[in-house]
Amino acid sequence: MGLTRRDFIKASAAAAAFAAVGAPMLRPEGAEAAEAGITWGKAPCRYCGVGCSVLVGVKDGKIVTTKGDPAGPVNKGLNCIKGYFLSKALYGKDRLTKPLIRKGNKMVEATWDEALDLIASKYRQAVSQHGPDSVAMYGSGQWTVQEGYVASKLMKGGIGTNNLEPNARLCMASAVVGFMNTFGSDEPMGCYDDLDLGDTYILWGANMAEAHPVLFSRLIDNKLKHPKVRLIDIATRKTRTTKMADEYIPMRPHGDLAALNGIIHVILRDKLYDESFIREHISFKRGKENAPYGLKDKEAFNETPADVKGLSFDEYKQLMKLFTPQWAESVSGIPAGKIEELARIYSDKSRKVNSLWTMGVNQHSRGVWVNNLIYNLHLLTGKICKPGENPLSLTGQPSACGTAREVGTFAHRLPADMVVMNEAHRKKTAGIWGIDPGKISPKVGLHTVELFRAIERDEIKCIWIQCTNPFQSLPNLSRVRKAAQARKAFIVVSDIYPTRTTELADVILPSASWVEKEGVYGNTERRTQQWFKMIDPPGEAKEDTWQLIQFARRMGLGHLFPYSEKGMHREIWEEYRKFTIGTGKDLAPYQAYTKVRGLRWPIKPDGSETRWRYTDLDDQNVKKGEGIKFYKAPGNKANVWFRPYEPPAESPDKAYPFWFSTGRLLEHWHTGTMTGRVPELKRAVPGATIELHPEDAKRLGIKNRDLVRITSRRGSVVLPAEINGRGTPEKGSVFAAFFDENRLINELCIDAFDPLSKEPDFKKCAVKVKKA
Amino acid sequence: MPVSGIVVTCSSASVDTVALELAKQDGIEVHGVLPEGRIVAVVEADTVDAEVELVSGLEEIEGVVSVQLAYHNFEEL
Repeated sequence: MGLTRRDFIKASAAAAAFAAVGAPMLRPEGAEAAEAGITWGKAPCRYCGVGCSVLVGVKDGKIVTTKGDPAGPVNKGLNCIKGYFLSKALYGKDRLTKPLIRKGNKMVEATWDEALDLIASKYRQAVSQHGPDSVAMYGSGQWTVQEGYVASKLMKGGIGTNNLEPNARLCMASAVVGFMNTFGSDEPMGCYDDLDLGDTYILWGANMAEAHPVLFSRLIDNKLKHPKVRLIDIATRKTRTTKMADEYIPMRPHGDLAALNGIIHVILRDKLYDESFIREHISFKRGKENAPYGLKDKEAFNETPADVKGLSFDEYKQLMKLFTPQWAESVSGIPAGKIEELARIYSDKSRKVNSLWTMGVNQHSRGVWVNNLIYNLHLLTGKICKPGENPLSLTGQPSACGTAREVGTFAHRLPADMVVMNEAHRKKTAGIWGIDPGKISPKVGLHTVELFRAIERDEIKCIWIQCTNPFQSLPNLSRVRKAAQARKAFIVVSDIYPTRTTELADVILPSASWVEKEGVYGNTERRTQQWFKMIDPPGEAKEDTWQLIQFARRMGLGHLFPYSEKGMHREIWEEYRKFTIGTGKDLAPYQAYTKVRGLRWPIKPDGSETRWRYTDLDDQNVKKGEGIKFYKAPGNKANVWFRPYEPPAESPDKAYPFWFSTGRLLEHWHTGTMTGRVPELKRAVPGATIELHPEDAKRLGIKNRDLVRITSRRGSVVLPAEINGRGTPEKGSVFAAFFDENRLINELCIDAFDPLSKEPDFKKCAVKVKKA
Repeated sequence: MPVSGIVVTCSSASVDTVALELAKQDGIEVHGVLPEGRIVAVVEADTVDAEVELVSGLEEIEGVVSVQLAYHNFEEL
C-alpha cells in the first residue's frame, strides 16, 4: 500500500481532531495502526485549574503521545497549546534525580536516608528547643489530594503546628473567604455547564482567552451558536479576551470596588432587584471597615462575629445611597452611563447573567470585598443557583480546589470547610485521625506572607517547600530572598527541576510528577479526577507522599500513616472521604473515580454528581419543592455585605507615576518551571517583556523592544518593551508576566494583602518607567 | 519528528480564507473545513519547537478565534 508509520500517525492526528469537532465519521485510513503498542491512560492535565482530561499514550515505559480526551466533559477532546508540553515537561534534561544536601556553597549528592535523617534531626531539634510553631511546611495547589492530606495530618495532627500553607494563598484565598462569609461553604454553586447555557457573561478583570483557554473556547462556541450571547470584558488591559468580547470596558486598577458598588446602587435605586428572592434567601451584613494592608509585620486584623452588624434591607439601601454612578465613574473611570447600563444588564429578566473572575479580583488588597460585591449582584437579582446563570470564581492551579481548599492545607483550615479555631471541628478531625484532640492546636498558623517574614525574624527554624516556587512567586521578593539567603532557617525543597527556590535550599529532594505517580486533583467546578501511575519517575525521584511518610516515621509519627504500599492512594482517599460524608461536600468511594472523567461533588446517595448546588433542581440536600436553599449558611440565608470603597495600599504618585500589574501568558504557566524548561516554549515567548500603552511609550521615547527599567520602592528590573503586542495596558499602567526565572518581576510587587484573606495584591503597585 | 492534530476555530465568515492561509504554510495540511467555522489540520515539523512556533503563529491570523490541540505524537520517527 505504501503507507508508512508516519502516514498512520498523521491519520491518527486528523482522526482525533475530527472526533473532537463531532465529525468522527471522517476517520482517515490507517488511524488505528498508529496506535499499536501504545497503552492509554486518563489523567487531568498537569497545568491550570480548568481540569481538562488528557489521554496519555505510553510505549516502552515512555510517554510518546497525548490526546485531548473525547470522553472528558470539560474539554471534549481538545487541549490548549500547553498540551504540547504536557509530557515533555517531564523529560527536561535537568530533571532532579537524586537528593542533594548543601555543603557550603555546593549541593552534594546524598542517599534518601541521609537526606531524610538530616531533615528529621533538624525538625526534631527545632521542635524540642523552640516548640512546634518553629517549624513549617509550604505546599501547593498542585499537590495531589493525597499529598495535601498527608501533609495536613503530619503537621496539624502529628507535629502539632498549624504552620501549613499552600501557594494557593497567593491566588485563591480571597475567593475562599468570599464563599465562606457569603454562603457558609467554599466553592461554586454553579459549574462549567453555565458557560454553555447562559447568554450574558461579564468578565471582571479576567483574561480567560490566555489563562483559561479551554473554558473560553466553550464560551465562544456558545456565542458562535447563539447570537444573543454577549461577552463583556471589564478590565485594566486589552487582551486576547478583549478581541473576542462584544464590549470592552476599560477600568482603573482597583476600580472594581467602586464600579460594583455603583451598579448595586442603581439596582437598589431603581428597584431592579428580586424582592421575593431577597426576602427568602438573604441577610444583610456590615463588617469591619478601615482595614489595614498588612504592611506591618504581625499586623493582626480579623472580622469576628462581634464585629459584624446585621442590617435591615432599608438600612442597607440607605448606606448604598452614597455610591452614585457619578461617584463610581470618578473612582473607576467607567462612565456613569455604563454603570447604569451594567445594572440593567445584571437585572434584565430576559438574560441569564454570569460573572467570571480570577486573579484580578482575588489578588486585591480588598479582594474578599470584591468577591462579596459580585455575589451581592447575583443575590439581589436572584440570578444564582440556576442553570446558565451564576457567579463563577475561576482557579489557576489543578488542585487549588481539590487539595488546598477541600483538604484544607491553609494555616486555619481542616478538611471539608472546618477550621482549627473551632473545638468541635478539632474533635471531629482528631476522631478520624485517631489522635488526642488536644494535639491539634487551636491557634491559627502563620499565613504565607507572615510565614516568610517569620523566617526573616528567625522565628521559623525549618521550612519544607513542596511542589512550588515561592522564591520566585512571592511579592516583595528581594526581602524574602534575603531572609532565605541569611541561612538562619533550614530550608528543604522538593521539586522536579532546579528553580529559583531550590537554589536557596539546604536539602533538595527529587520528586515524581503527574503520571509518574497516582493521584487525585479537584478543579474549579468541584470536579474530582483520579489517575493511575503510568511511567516510573527518573532516577531516584519519589512522590511527595512517600517523602512525607518517610519523614514522619523518623519523627516517631509513622503510626499516623498505616497505609499499605500497594493501596496507599486509595486508603488515604477513603480516610479523607470520611470528613465529607453528610456535609454537603460528599465525595465518592475511590473506585468510582477510577472509571470516569471526574465527578462533581456533592456526590448523591446513588453515586451521581451534582451540577448545581443549593437548588432542588439538582442538589439532594435540598428537598423537592424547597427551591433554592443556602443550607450551609446560618439560617439558610446567604449574606449580602455592605462593603464600601477603600483605596489601594499604594497608588501612583509623582515619584512612581505608573501602575504595575503582573499576570500570566498562554504559553507559560506560573513561574515557568514546567513550561520555561522546554526550549520550544521559550522560543515562542523568549523572555518577559513590559507592556506599555503606545501613548505612554511615545511620551517616554520608548520604542518596541527597547530596554526599559521598571523601578518600584522595592526593586528594579530591566525588560524589553512590548508595544501593541498581545496585550495593551490602559494609559498609565504597565504589565509584565512573572514566568521568567531570569527576571524576578515580583521584586517590584508590594507585599500588601487583603486583611481578611491575607492574599497579596500582585495587581497594583506604583512604579517608574525609564528607557534603560 | 512530532505530529499533531489541531482544530482551528474561526469566525464563520473567514473560515475559507483562513483555510487557504493555513494550507500555504509549510508543515500544515488542512484535512477538513467544517460547519461553524472549524478547520481540522495536521501539523508536522522537525522538532516540537518548530511545531509550537507554527501553531502559536496561527493565533495571529485575522479571523482565527482559537487554536486547540487534539492529538500530539512525539515518538521518535
